[in-house]
Amino acid sequence: MKRSLYAAVHFGAACIVGVGFIGCSSSEEPAESITAEPASLAVNAADRTAALDAFDVVYEVLQHPRCMNCHPAGDRPLQFDNSEHHIMNVQRGDDDAGRPGMRCVTCHGSDNLDAPHLPPGVSTVWKMAPREMVFEGLSKRELSEMLLDPARSHMTTDEMIEHVTHDALVLWGWDPGPGRTPVDVPHEDFVDAFTRWVEAGAPVPGEDTP
Amino acid sequence: MSASPTAGTTGMSRRFFLAGVSAGSLVLAARISGASTLARILQDEDIDALTFEPDVFVSIAPDGIVTIVAHRSEMGTGIRTALPMVVADELGADWERVSIDQAIGDSTYGSQNTDGSRSVRRFYQRMRIAGATARTMLERAAAAQWDVEAADCVGRDHRVTHMPTGRTVAYGELVDVARELDVPEEDDLVFKPKSERKYVGTNVAIADLDGIVNGNAQFGMDIRRPNMVFAVVERSPVLGGAPTGFNADDVRSMAGIVDVVELPTFSPPHAFQALGGIAVVASSTWAALEGRKALRVTWSPSDHASYDSTSYEQSLLDAARSEGQVARTQGDAKSTLDAADASSCHEADYYVPTLAHASMEPPCAVAELTFDDDGAVTACEVWAPTQNPQAAQGQLASSLELPPDAITVHVTLLGGGFGRKSKPDFIVEAALLARDLKRPVQVVWTREDDIRHDYFHSVAACHVRAAVDDDGMPTALIQRSAFPTIGSSFNPTARYGQSFELGLGFTDMPYDVPNLQVENGPAEAHLRIGWLRSVAHIFHAFAVCSFPDELAHRAGRDPYEYLMSLLGAPRHVELPGVEYANHGEPLERYPIDVGRLRAVTERVAQHADWGRTMPRGRGLGIACHRSFLSYCANVIEVDVAPDGTVRIPNVWVSIDAGTVIHPDRVRAQMEGSAVFGASLAMYGEITATNGVVDQSNFHDYRMARIYDAPQMVHVDIVESDELPAGVGEVGVPPFAPALCNAIYAATGHRIRRLPIMHHDLSWNA
Amino acid sequence: MISLRINGEVHDLHDVDPRTPLLWVLRDTLGMTGTRYGCGMAQCGACTVHINGEAARSCVKPVGDLNDADITTIEGLSEDGNHPLQQAWKKHDVPQCGYCQAGQIMNAAALLNSIPNPTDDDIDAGMGGNICRCGTYQRIRAAIHDAAKGEVDA
Repeated sequence: MKRSLYAAVHFGAACIVGVGFIGCSSSEEPAESITAEPASLAVNAADRTAALDAFDVVYEVLQHPRCMNCHPAGDRPLQFDNSEHHIMNVQRGDDDAGRPGMRCVTCHGSDNLDAPHLPPGVSTVWKMAPREMVFEGLSKRELSEMLLDPARSHMTTDEMIEHVTHDALVLWGWDPGPGRTPVDVPHEDFVDAFTRWVEAGAPVPGEDTP
Repeated sequence: MSASPTAGTTGMSRRFFLAGVSAGSLVLAARISGASTLARILQDEDIDALTFEPDVFVSIAPDGIVTIVAHRSEMGTGIRTALPMVVADELGADWERVSIDQAIGDSTYGSQNTDGSRSVRRFYQRMRIAGATARTMLERAAAAQWDVEAADCVGRDHRVTHMPTGRTVAYGELVDVARELDVPEEDDLVFKPKSERKYVGTNVAIADLDGIVNGNAQFGMDIRRPNMVFAVVERSPVLGGAPTGFNADDVRSMAGIVDVVELPTFSPPHAFQALGGIAVVASSTWAALEGRKALRVTWSPSDHASYDSTSYEQSLLDAARSEGQVARTQGDAKSTLDAADASSCHEADYYVPTLAHASMEPPCAVAELTFDDDGAVTACEVWAPTQNPQAAQGQLASSLELPPDAITVHVTLLGGGFGRKSKPDFIVEAALLARDLKRPVQVVWTREDDIRHDYFHSVAACHVRAAVDDDGMPTALIQRSAFPTIGSSFNPTARYGQSFELGLGFTDMPYDVPNLQVENGPAEAHLRIGWLRSVAHIFHAFAVCSFPDELAHRAGRDPYEYLMSLLGAPRHVELPGVEYANHGEPLERYPIDVGRLRAVTERVAQHADWGRTMPRGRGLGIACHRSFLSYCANVIEVDVAPDGTVRIPNVWVSIDAGTVIHPDRVRAQMEGSAVFGASLAMYGEITATNGVVDQSNFHDYRMARIYDAPQMVHVDIVESDELPAGVGEVGVPPFAPALCNAIYAATGHRIRRLPIMHHDLSWNA
Repeated sequence: MISLRINGEVHDLHDVDPRTPLLWVLRDTLGMTGTRYGCGMAQCGACTVHINGEAARSCVKPVGDLNDADITTIEGLSEDGNHPLQQAWKKHDVPQCGYCQAGQIMNAAALLNSIPNPTDDDIDAGMGGNICRCGTYQRIRAAIHDAAKGEVDA
């Protein structure tokens, strides 16, 4: 219930598509009744399957250590491919950029450095994702719910597509510097999958989805 | 007190010192004979006339400034402060008017090899003699000046006082007279009673404190010489490989590169030789590192490429489980064990991995050579953070084919040593490059170089087996260790631990067991093996102090109460027929005193309030161990979170090191030992694949940090007038077993293989 | 050309590769050796300086990024070694070998700039990047607390 509300209210184009489907469906609920059937369930079965397949790709990327390590559950960033806690007791702090004395910028700079295990950098500012924007430990369903909950994702789906397409920290996942495994799904495939998922109404994987 | 920010090792500080001397100082050199040494130490021919060949000396300038030479290396123990305190006390000097100057390497000091926790025990008395000699001469000078009895004259507070009249004269004013007097016989010296000491036993600020906190202190890495260049060396990833080709021209063309030079590969045994390799020399360290990054070297094969630490671990455990060479035996442990019912036997295998020193300042050295008109080397001067300047001098003489007296080794402050910097290989590299480049060269080891090419602490397996009686007390015990010996660095075919290594906490095991056998099994070395803080005590104590805890729990007894029973009655442990080094001291002077070991164990249990009940996940562990002739016991409180994270809120240490010069530095060493112990227990492991060390820096060779190190170390120092004994290494051995014993108490998880990080200690809250 | 403002003084660097870490420019080009090398990869904190008031590991900060930055090193932390932290370090006789201590003090100074009176948890979080192999952490903690409270008389 809640998720369709967010889908309809916050997802711009996606919401219109979703509502449109509702309108075309056999549901007797009026189209404007945004508390009715979840939009995703209104998508026809084939499209829904395709969208969920696209979300599988999104999920795979967001669970990759290059992405998840800065989207942990809790206040401690992760490191390495095994996503262990960042050494040195690094913590989020008030602005997601470290605590006093141990800020992200204490080590992370404007670019990757050219040997393994040196602190990576980006042209913007190295920092963690907001506390609510957790990737770690979430199932597909939970992750999609998080994305569709603006209180947690802090973005509309449009903003999200923009984010995954252009944000320097996101792009870093495909250019993480020497010695780090880049995200294995090509970036354009990821953006494409994300866009397809959103354009298909951002369906949420069902209860049976692990 | 003042200390030059350079540990007195630069030309600048020597000139300052000489100015004082040449102005007519009283230069005292206690004991022995000969003239040349002091002059050479001071590099001033004019002093010849004043000298006696010293092992220690004191000089007093007419302005009253007392200069005391520190001849042992300062790597954090406080020795550069502590030994001069002893001199100052006997001299009756005012510490505010004492200047400390660091000695260069010279064999006439006696050993300068600052390891083995022996600086105080070896030099305490000699320092007293140096100070008392100087004071006696000043007292006699004053007596002569006043025409009174010398016995009525007392040197203290930087003055001599005539006791009957209260007349006084400052030390500086007595210099001219005192320097003409005969040096008193050692038998004529009267030492100050304890009640008249002002410094020994007090917490004087360390000599280099100001320089350290304002950044001016000079470590080896900080030495700069005119026209100096910087070098890094690419060494064979596998011990024993030699370069077969490298792209020198590609690297030479890079910005800042001065040259690319091949250093000769050592011929076995490696001992203290430079390893060899390809050096990249540049105008800055960074340029050298960039050059090395572009360097491509091919290496000749080495037999050590077969070394794989995983399969080696198994072979080491097998060796520890098989019969070995017997190092100590009493009663008949073997027959007793063979006859015992299996249900009354207990056995365990313990494993401690290879460790690296990882001093915060990696090895580094500056060398500057002098050449004759034909370009031949005539002299060599080096500045290095060395624990052993005489070994450096000897190795440099051999490598440069120069007489030892053509070589001057300046000892800088050491950014940590832990035994690594006893070996002068890195200093030789600098000298060989300075010879090739004909200009001063600083060799810098990166952290990666340091960890991959260390003189490693031996990996070790220990097997312990006991038969116990109805009270759970052992009636027979066999313990056996197997580890690559330090001897392998000097004799590549060495396979067994040397008696001195087995004597580090194994053959001298103090428990009261009627039938006992201590053995050692064979092991090959595939890395350079050296000594690291506490040496074989680390792995021997891990077994010897863990096993009683296992036996106690097996018997359902309190581990502390059990340990005290196992220690048995206060007595001196006799070791008939055992080849036992006792840290280089006779057993008559430094016996294995179970009474003192019991005492520290009782004290630590009391301080820790042993016996409290604690919630699940928290626990106390206890261990006691004699090492470096001192007695130390730990109780550790551990807090294991449900997710398995280990925290150490409290450590209690009791130490009996005999006479203590500087209690606060003993305290500091115990605090530091706990952190050192925590690092090795929680994280310490060097592994190798195909002969190449897998670790390289602090991300994969982790250290305890402020948040996971022991939070509070409570130190209890036994007040004692016994002979001074070791401190620097004594706190380390009992730490890991006490911690693992605590983890057992907290979680029921017995750790026999370090490091702890590999064990899943999580539990359901 | 790169221009660095260090301890209030501007240093113009000619012929320095902009990728060169600040650490080596300080030590090898400018002769300011109080900032120390320990790992070269921001793992140990021995090289800590302040860049625009934040603690920074100079071993991983290319000088090419620092043209407009304000840099403070241990040499510029105080006039006469009298920063409250330096005084507290002396009061507690914190150092053993001393090699890491300039970095420790610089990091602690950055911590106190943001949190004048830190808790143990603040110290654990703020100082977790600085390794002391001698193990002086207990005294570092005590010295930071005393410096924060102004209790620095030995």
